Amino acid sequence: MNALLEQFLSESRDFLQGIADKLMQLEENPNSTELMVELFRFVHTLKGNSGLFDFPEMTRVLHASEDLMDAVRNGRVHYSQELADQLLEAMDFVGILMDEVEGTGQLSNQHSEVSAALAQSLRALIVSAPEDSIEIGSDAISILLESSEISIPKTNVTAEKPTLNLPEEIAVELYRTAKSGDVVTLLEYAPEAECFFKGEDPFFLVRQIPDVLWREVTTLNNAPLAEMDAYSCQLIFRVITTADVIELRELFRYVPEQVNFKTLEAASFILPDGEKEEDALQDEFIASALELLNKDDTATLIRSTETMLGLVAPTLWFSSALRWLLIILECDAENQALKRILIESLHTFELPNLTNLAAEIVVEKSPVEEIIEKSAIVLSEKDHARFDMIMKSQRDVLRLPNNNNAVFVGRLKAVATTLKGCCLALNKNSDAVEVEKALETAISENSSEALLTWLANYTIPTEKTVEIVESEKMVKSEQDVEKLIISPEKETHDSSLIMPNRRAEDNAPASKTLKVDQEKIDRLMNLIGEMVVAKNALPYLANRAETVFGVRELSREIKAQYAVINRVAEEMQDTIMQVRMMPVSFVFQRFPRMVRDISRKLGKEVHLVLEGENTEADKNIIEALADPLIHIVRNSLDHGLELPEIRKAAGKPAEGKLLIRASQESDRVLIEIIDDGKGINPEVIKNKAYEKGLIDETTLERISDQDAVNLVFAAGFSTAEVISDLSGRGVGMDVVRSAVEKVNGTVGIESEVGKGTRLFLSLPLSMAVTNVMIIESNKQIFGVPMDMVVETVRVPFDQIQAIKQKQTTVLRGKIVPLLSLNELLAQNIDQIPNEGNEFATLIVRIHGENVGILVDDFRETVDIILKPMAGILGGLSGYSGAALLGDGSVLMVLNPRELI
Amino acid sequence: MAIEYKKSLAIFSGNVSVEEAEGLLDFFVKNPKGKINVADCSHIHAANLQVLMVVKPIITNEPKDMDLQTWLHIALK
Repeated sequence: MNALLEQFLSESRDFLQGIADKLMQLEENPNSTELMVELFRFVHTLKGNSGLFDFPEMTRVLHASEDLMDAVRNGRVHYSQELADQLLEAMDFVGILMDEVEGTGQLSNQHSEVSAALAQSLRALIVSAPEDSIEIGSDAISILLESSEISIPKTNVTAEKPTLNLPEEIAVELYRTAKSGDVVTLLEYAPEAECFFKGEDPFFLVRQIPDVLWREVTTLNNAPLAEMDAYSCQLIFRVITTADVIELRELFRYVPEQVNFKTLEAASFILPDGEKEEDALQDEFIASALELLNKDDTATLIRSTETMLGLVAPTLWFSSALRWLLIILECDAENQALKRILIESLHTFELPNLTNLAAEIVVEKSPVEEIIEKSAIVLSEKDHARFDMIMKSQRDVLRLPNNNNAVFVGRLKAVATTLKGCCLALNKNSDAVEVEKALETAISENSSEALLTWLANYTIPTEKTVEIVESEKMVKSEQDVEKLIISPEKETHDSSLIMPNRRAEDNAPASKTLKVDQEKIDRLMNLIGEMVVAKNALPYLANRAETVFGVRELSREIKAQYAVINRVAEEMQDTIMQVRMMPVSFVFQRFPRMVRDISRKLGKEVHLVLEGENTEADKNIIEALADPLIHIVRNSLDHGLELPEIRKAAGKPAEGKLLIRASQESDRVLIEIIDDGKGINPEVIKNKAYEKGLIDETTLERISDQDAVNLVFAAGFSTAEVISDLSGRGVGMDVVRSAVEKVNGTVGIESEVGKGTRLFLSLPLSMAVTNVMIIESNKQIFGVPMDMVVETVRVPFDQIQAIKQKQTTVLRGKIVPLLSLNELLAQNIDQIPNEGNEFATLIVRIHGENVGILVDDFRETVDIILKPMAGILGGLSGYSGAALLGDGSVLMVLNPRELI
Repeated sequence: MAIEYKKSLAIFSGNVSVEEAEGLLDFFVKNPKGKINVADCSHIHAANLQVLMVVKPIITNEPKDMDLQTWLHIALK
């Protein structure tokens, strides 16, 4: 993967997160222009960046999102929940694409359809807006067309129905190909006018189409040469190919909206052509041919058709149809209906009801076109006058006296067709249905009255009527009226925002932050660690200079130098720690979205409050925090907070409150997750734990409520009756605890039934430097992490009592079990007491209980850089790692939690 | 140079890029009866193609590239 792509991916993830954040904030504060502008800038930049790479699926969705945000920003579309959902979905999709890119380095084209669908639904939001945002009314379309970047496919494509003027020989060939089982596809490609400025070469693209059977290129340009704009693409390509449609879509993946694919049926090629002149022999032939067809005498039919062909001029339509008949007899002899239709068509020279190619090419309408249609209801004055004229003449026709019944019915039908056409042009399909009904009544009554009544009642929608209808709508809702009042100001405000030019938004102040690969920082930290060790060797050197070589002067100078190096090294270490520090918001930022999604899914109302997001801790700690926190939050949402009805019944507000708070307490980070839900019932927990065999009967009897609540951290514990996709698999809280303990953290829980639950995690600020106490046992030294050491005491021999086989002592009125370190390390040697026959005892706190470890002697405490042990030694869980001491010796650091 | 302009003949060679379209249009405005020699041409950009489609000039030498030849015949028909 190249560096640019790597950077794009890492940046884009930030952007996606930023977009999600902004959307969340917008949800709270939907009218904030500032937020919208920022959101737009994110989407805009992301789109621009994605354009650098070959990810059309990604760019398309982002482009649509950008357009939508642009519309929102300019107040053309109102921010709504639905809109947020759509955008979030789109961003999730982009995230999925990025995962794929990250994994494989490229994008497969399987996302193409999803991408198109997403883009379309996003655009649909832009489009649907003018209907409910009244302030813009009918001008909306023009604004939309001018200001947004939606490419409008040429309307010419839809206006003139594309008839394929296939020469007969090619049509025959195509027919045979289609009959032979190949899928014949008509591809129509109308590049947008500005495509040349986007670096596209439509002709090149078209030339890449494989297996071309027929091709055509037309230009819409009809300006004289001198006025022609060479750089406005006016071409339309049409190609018939047997290539796979999937392959074609892949080829045109950058411009899917400009291409139409249509699978052509074999029958659609049967289009006899020629001069439509009557021939003397025609009627006779038709009669005999139909007879032969009824008898199913194909051989004779072929013969007579061939004879007939010899007799008529080859340029006639009749002749062409005969040639087609022969081909059908050859390729599709079973198809009686087709043959019959063809033979019967010889009467009229019109081929009815075959798969009529021209009628079937349905050009997909872009959303923009659709609004043009929908809003086309409003007629300009000129059109209105014309419309009036049409109506008037229809009325005149209807009033003509009924002289001849057959003619009269035809006349009625003609009028109805005209009226229906008018209705459809006005996009009033319902009216067209009414016309149809009126026509039926008129024919059955044999009078034009029904249609006349319809005409009399029909009013043509004018700009005025539309306005009235809309102003009525406005009055209906006060909110809408507000919108109306606000909007003009908003409009001007926004236009001043865009006016200078959009690029201004790209000129964000130069970033002061530097993105560095974590590996580099880790390496830097390792180097500093080594330097600290090297530095620690200096006092030894000074000592040697004095004692071994007897140069006191030199020893003093070395010590002076050491002081300086020590200061610099410590500062360096501090600084690098600062670099590795990250705010907890890194983990917190995903919660608003998560809580929103989950609470919606569960039908709960949750108000999430985040506090202390700026609290910082080492990156490793923060990262280790992410999973446990997510688990806890899920648990709180799923088990803690109740459904709104239950809350109301319990006299609590329907909306539950979930507070996630981070704070710093000396050298630890404290994270609390507090909900005001139903709390944890210790009785339920006790019984569950007993049922699952986690505690025995005696424990069940005497366990305190607090201890019972703590049982949720026991492995294999789950209170949920039903396993949901959120929680309840019984691997919940013990995973949380082990994850937290892995980074030397602790986790605790407090709960009050009916009031809520408070979970708290306490984590070290940094893992890099560990403060250990050095102890001596059996002539070796070991380190014990200081954060586990409660106190050090010297226990006189006579105060050690044995309870059963275990040694214990009473310390300040509490029994403390005593363990010998030598024994723990499987060395069969007694600990050595000091001269006063006292044993050096290290009191450590493990899972909330104090335990005394007997050692030979205590030494000093040191700051070390703890390296976890690798390889085979890594499996020794009794040690948490090793560190180098200043004199070059290795210090093994014990892990009492595992040891005991 | 992808298009070489003689008095009333434009000689195309290689891949004729989009930048040539303006010049080609000028050429035909000045020489409405100008001809083209596309023998050594492998591809012309769509912008050039649409200029040719409006002018429909006489082709003095057909392109050696058969696919291009087919397309030009259809386009300039």
